[in-house]
Amino acid sequence: MTDQEFAEMFETAESCVYCRCGCCKDGCPMYAEILEESISPKGRNELIRAISKGIVEPDERALRIAFSCLLCRRDEFSCSAQLKNADVTESFRRYLLERGLPMLPEHDLLAKNLANYGNPWGESKSARKRWAKDFLSKRFVNGKTETLFYVGCTFSLDRTLQESPRALASLMQKAKEDFGLLLDDELCCGSTAKRIGAAALFEKVQKLNSEKIRATGAKRIVTACSGCFKTLKQDYGGLLNGIEILHSTEYIALMIEQGRLKLDELPKKVTYHDPCHLGRHAGVYDAPRRILSSVSRLKLIEMRNSREKSGCCGGGAGVKTAYPSISQKVAVRRIVEAEKTGAEMLVTTCPFCMQTLKSAAQESGSKIEVIELSVLIDRISHPKGGRK
Amino acid sequence: MDPEVLEAVKKALISRLGETKVLWKKPDIVLYRKDTYRIRFDEDYKYLPDLVVLPETTAEVQEIVKVAAEHRIPLIPKGGGSSRTGMLVPIHGGILVDTIKMNRVIEVSVPNLYVTVQPGVTLKELEEHLSEHNLALNQEQGSLRMATVGGSISTSGFSRKHQKYGTIADRVMSLEVVLADGRILRTGQKVLYTSTGYRLHQLFVGAEGTLGIITEATLRVEPLPEARDAIVAFYKGFWEANEAAQRTMASGVTFTGGEAYEGHDMSSYGAPPGLKGLFYVGFEGIKGEVEAEVEFVRKIVADTGGVLATHENASKFMGMYSEQWCGARTRTKSEDVLTTYVPMERMVEFYDILWNKIGKKYDISPLPGEKYGLDVGRYRIVAGRFFLPKGEGAWEKYQSALREIAELATSMGGSVSSCHGVGIQHKESIKLEYSKVALETMRAIKRALDPDNIMNPGKKIDI
Repeated sequence: MTDQEFAEMFETAESCVYCRCGCCKDGCPMYAEILEESISPKGRNELIRAISKGIVEPDERALRIAFSCLLCRRDEFSCSAQLKNADVTESFRRYLLERGLPMLPEHDLLAKNLANYGNPWGESKSARKRWAKDFLSKRFVNGKTETLFYVGCTFSLDRTLQESPRALASLMQKAKEDFGLLLDDELCCGSTAKRIGAAALFEKVQKLNSEKIRATGAKRIVTACSGCFKTLKQDYGGLLNGIEILHSTEYIALMIEQGRLKLDELPKKVTYHDPCHLGRHAGVYDAPRRILSSVSRLKLIEMRNSREKSGCCGGGAGVKTAYPSISQKVAVRRIVEAEKTGAEMLVTTCPFCMQTLKSAAQESGSKIEVIELSVLIDRISHPKGGRK
Repeated sequence: MDPEVLEAVKKALISRLGETKVLWKKPDIVLYRKDTYRIRFDEDYKYLPDLVVLPETTAEVQEIVKVAAEHRIPLIPKGGGSSRTGMLVPIHGGILVDTIKMNRVIEVSVPNLYVTVQPGVTLKELEEHLSEHNLALNQEQGSLRMATVGGSISTSGFSRKHQKYGTIADRVMSLEVVLADGRILRTGQKVLYTSTGYRLHQLFVGAEGTLGIITEATLRVEPLPEARDAIVAFYKGFWEANEAAQRTMASGVTFTGGEAYEGHDMSSYGAPPGLKGLFYVGFEGIKGEVEAEVEFVRKIVADTGGVLATHENASKFMGMYSEQWCGARTRTKSEDVLTTYVPMERMVEFYDILWNKIGKKYDISPLPGEKYGLDVGRYRIVAGRFFLPKGEGAWEKYQSALREIAELATSMGGSVSSCHGVGIQHKESIKLEYSKVALETMRAIKRALDPDNIMNPGKKIDI
């Protein structure tokens, strides 16, 4: 961590400690479950300041507190000063690890998997193309294909989620998009490494991945993973400058608005869950809603907390790995909120949101169908001029 | 605390509450060292609680109190932690009792218009819950997102809707309190109006946890209104806006609450260039009633030369209430606020002495746009926010300024603190506000309920 990075972290913590209002606790999903001051942005900022001033020695408890955050940024929309608490928490994680504290064992495994297998889930390189049996012919041709469909580790390797990349590839075909896949050559974006404080590993992964992508000559990247989208777009420090990076929702909305996809009607009540990395981090709130609003007879009902104030699913920033039961409680809270709308479907568009919300719906006996947006649209779409 | 005693107390609490509800590691307890009070600048980490406990039930609070009573250890009850006067600072160490996990809504009675809750539910959570029953508590304080019912009662918190619905003090019907010896006090039936008994529940309003720990509260609620509206009007300055405020209060028109103040930059609310004064009034009720009230106040605005804001800008202004509450603290890193009560006819004189004599003498100056402020309605807080003195002797100057402000307000027949309580900040100053007999009566009450002085000792009043 550079002196400047430390100064920025300390300055934000200091500003927060001076105020101590606790507005950040309003909506903080981790605080809502644990209800201890330390598990809130205010509490972490206090701890950052106390450790930085030598009042508190960094220890395992401090480490646990640092990693009890979803980096969801919900608190930043409650904070009058809009302090960048997620960035500060990421810095705090790095700071503690650089001061010699060990990585949480649960996260250590993720980092080792990423270093050894190229993905956090410990799957083989070839497993990355399992989802794409029907799309093997779409291997990206360097210098020729324009659009790279960047699938990401979780969508491509979690068998329960592979319907999503297939749906998006299908939509691209229907829209006659000239797209290509890296299949088993695709590399991790490094998001997991960054969130768990593995700074050196992230540096290495982003370098390799950006070089790989640059070598394709792609003009644009489309990804359905909100985590990959945020990382490629915001965390690569200009390494992908010049390449347009679109989330699948932005891309599908364009395809519909350009008339390249036609949609059947769908007489359903649905609600939409904003993934944190897509919404609060990247500011993409409208595209998914534009898509849903374009479906005839579909009624979109917003949850009490949506857009900037959307609740987190509980799946982010290593929390699901380190604290699975708390992650599950956060997700159940969101499911309960979705059910209150009376919607039959809960639509979202992030592999982690899908994992946690689906599991929470099952756990809580909810009848609401949790569905990824590409999958929903693929079911009701057909090419321009195609059969209805 | 003696290490052996601490270990015994910790062990006893863990055996009664379970390990997860007792905190003792420094990374945890350092966060509970204060509220938003400006503690002496070089003593920021001087006072830490020895232990923090997070009970979920009244029975658990009883167990905590019994352990503390046995060892005569201080107990500091905590709600949302947004107090401004140091009532949460553990100046004698002890056990900080965070009631935040006591957050259940126990009963909503629609026919009798009351709600019974545990003390740790926040005002915002409670309003959301009540809205599902078409009811509202109508307690909008700046800290409503984190302030708890227990904390609000214990501080006698304010509400932006005070004119129509009163503050939390007017909403309390009945309380359950764990006393210093561990007994449970139920202050009375769940009734709003009775002429029997002493009004014990009011004893705990603004008591700052010095008389017992509130474990349950029954509060009067109201049906959600059919209509809502607001008027925001701009004036040349505060005193012009104040004229509209005074006329509105004198007229008898019904409104929820309002404010007159002089803002720093009002252009974001659509204020014409050069107009810095702002007057707002909120309205709730049945549709025709609200329409008539709005029309009435519009006329007052026209008669006093105000420029009405658009409906959109009025809504925007109403939405920034809680931001106004805390935003300046982070930005300035050097401020405090006064919430004095001053008789209306002395307000000009009060502000003149405050800023031109006391301010200059002790290097305190108003934050831009925070020089004047009046809560319009039955509870008329005369407010201001100021930069703290800097440099050598800054703390002493700050304290002297607070003392002189208290002397000024009380000499005019007012109060030191309308809505922020006493804590440790105003402990000496309330002696200016109450007679010797009144103070002795307060001390007698404290001694009767807490003879060993374990309930938040050193706060509000010395015994």
